[in-house]
Amino acid sequence: MKRCMRIAAVLTAAALTTTACGSSGSGDGGEDGGDVNLTMTWWGNDDRAQRYNEAIEAYEAENPGVSVTTSFVDYPNYWPARATEAAGRSLPDVMQMDVSYLRQFASNGQLLDFAEVEGDGVDLSGLPDPLIPSGQVEGAQYGIPVATNAFTLFTDAAGLAQVGVELPENPTWEEYHDFLREVATAGGTTEDGQPVYGAGDYTGVFWMFIHWLNQQGIEAFTEDGELGFTQDDLETWLSSVDDLRAEGLLIPPARINQLSPLSPFDAGETTSEMTWDNFAAGYATNNPDVELELQPIPSDDPENPGLFLKPSMLFSIGANTDHPEEAAALIDYLVNDPEVGDVFGTSQGLRASSFQRDAMTMEGLDAEVAAYEESIEPLLVDSPPPPVEGFGTIEARLLEITENINYGTVSVEDAAAQWYSEAEQTLADNQ
Amino acid sequence: MTRTTAEPGTRTVDESARTPEQHATARRSARRSRDRRHKLVFHLVTGALVVVVLYPAVWMLVSSFRPSAQIIGNVSIVPTEVTLDNFVAAFNGIGGVSFWTFFMNSTILAVGSVVGIALSSAVSAYALARIDFRGRRVWFGLMIATLLLPVHVIIIPQYIVFNNLGLVNTYWPLLIGKFLATEAFFVFLMVQFMRNLPRELDEAARIDGAGHLRIFGSIMLPLMKPALVTSSIFAFIWSWNDFLGPLLYLKDPNLYSLPIALRLYVDQTTGAANFGPQMATAVLALVPVLIFFIIFQRYIVEGVATQGLKG
Repeated sequence: MKRCMRIAAVLTAAALTTTACGSSGSGDGGEDGGDVNLTMTWWGNDDRAQRYNEAIEAYEAENPGVSVTTSFVDYPNYWPARATEAAGRSLPDVMQMDVSYLRQFASNGQLLDFAEVEGDGVDLSGLPDPLIPSGQVEGAQYGIPVATNAFTLFTDAAGLAQVGVELPENPTWEEYHDFLREVATAGGTTEDGQPVYGAGDYTGVFWMFIHWLNQQGIEAFTEDGELGFTQDDLETWLSSVDDLRAEGLLIPPARINQLSPLSPFDAGETTSEMTWDNFAAGYATNNPDVELELQPIPSDDPENPGLFLKPSMLFSIGANTDHPEEAAALIDYLVNDPEVGDVFGTSQGLRASSFQRDAMTMEGLDAEVAAYEESIEPLLVDSPPPPVEGFGTIEARLLEITENINYGTVSVEDAAAQWYSEAEQTLADNQ
Repeated sequence: MTRTTAEPGTRTVDESARTPEQHATARRSARRSRDRRHKLVFHLVTGALVVVVLYPAVWMLVSSFRPSAQIIGNVSIVPTEVTLDNFVAAFNGIGGVSFWTFFMNSTILAVGSVVGIALSSAVSAYALARIDFRGRRVWFGLMIATLLLPVHVIIIPQYIVFNNLGLVNTYWPLLIGKFLATEAFFVFLMVQFMRNLPRELDEAARIDGAGHLRIFGSIMLPLMKPALVTSSIFAFIWSWNDFLGPLLYLKDPNLYSLPIALRLYVDQTTGAANFGPQMATAVLALVPVLIFFIIFQRYIVEGVATQGLKG
């Protein structure tokens, strides 16, 4: 019995020491006017980590009394970790945020509204006005855009020279379709003997559809988070490439799947692709022969290509923060300081703030992307608010359904009806 | 072998002119060739399965010596261009944290888990298997019940508790449970093992005047070696490969374990993913597990072999 008591005593002592260690370790100070310790986290790789370390060291040197503890993981694992922290009300003071998660975190009250920050807060004057709503949920600013992407039509000049086809500047949709037909019938092949196409079936890309809707003056989503377009709109869009599909002039989905995770454009098997302009660097890495050219996506009205800026990432503050002012000051520094712009270059996308962008010297591909985004600035429409919950599901579903259209297992009409009712259901479930 | 059917006199022999002995020999050789054929088929099938199972591992090993750009979309396991760059990059670490830091962190966690589980589970198992205290069956039942709780149910409450204790971003949340015998699987394993040890041993010890501590330390523990080794192997491998725990509880990259570090190379959102160093780190991360398993696996076999001879 005595021995048992002794063991119990030892265990209790161990438990007590543990607790004591913990509480002494977590004391950040701050209340006594001393040093402030901010926690900050982002998703990314080695390269991004080095850039952040450099930027934050500079910040700490300029702001004695503030230290920043950083942490990072890869994108897919970033979100379960943040969700767990949110449940424990222990989100980091400053975190990198993605537009597709902003609404979820903000509507659960886990993020700080920047309007509630006292003091100087974050200077938004450097940001393009149409971009600012992208960080707002129900009118409150929960995210500050760091850098931007815009949709573009990429063409590969080298590939096109080989097949001897040219794309007119600022093409209409009809001109673009004619171009796709010409490339596919030109009979060009890659080094491996694969036929070269103009493009894949782009109607399955939901963002592409949103841009087309913008061109028609239709908002993709209503303010209540419901679909803003009709089933007919979707059917018109999906059937716009019917002729090309019927003649087999788009790269077949089977081939696209074989090439995955590379895109056919990476592999040089298509000569054009419409996507976000930050893909440029990836294309250049994966296909060393590519000669990239960027221009606005096709539109029947050259004054309205329906383009907008999408923040590649934002910064948010956890609602549980003890140091909102210091957190906002750090974000202000990261978003607006010209030196930080130099440190990151275009690795996060084109810097959103003109304070950073104007001070940067860019070369090669970066300069090309920057010039593109500058050229479309007068044409921009307002950035859409953060996507509704369930956006990812309906986005993936559209891609699947167009794949089935291309396999010939479903008609365009049925596909549109099926997607539309499913999407309505998904959005209703997520309300 | 069903030899009895070949015994002379046990069968009627009128169907042929052969003597029973001849008949039996013929049957035996027929059976032997059939057995040989069965064996051949068996080995071919298992061989094919081994190829299927090992292919990804071999692919990983070969890929770790390939230039990063040639890894994805390449299913061949024949090396074309051999480079050591991936290993150089792997040893250089990530974001200013060296590979050896990750390696040490994983080692601390794994060794801590092994020690914690071996000690605490053995003591708890002794209590549940050998000491008659009130409510023993209820406690044992409750412990088994924790096995049925899905991990995902307890993640968030557990996180909140550790967060309120201020233990997040330390190794405590990952280790303390293991020192308190919360891993019911191991306790259960040891209880079952201990129940198979003859009670006469501890009764004899008790008659000689040994208390519980003495019986546990001098009689039970040495006999439990196979169970302890089995537990240690599992504890080591599970801890070494654990991803979710370190992901949730460790915030500082200097505390990250290898499985987390592995993921840092391939963030798809940050331009071109760096698969080469990831493969190299994966190969390096596998080495300790392999060594650990090779050293200790004979104890598992030994444990099973000596099981029947105890007493």
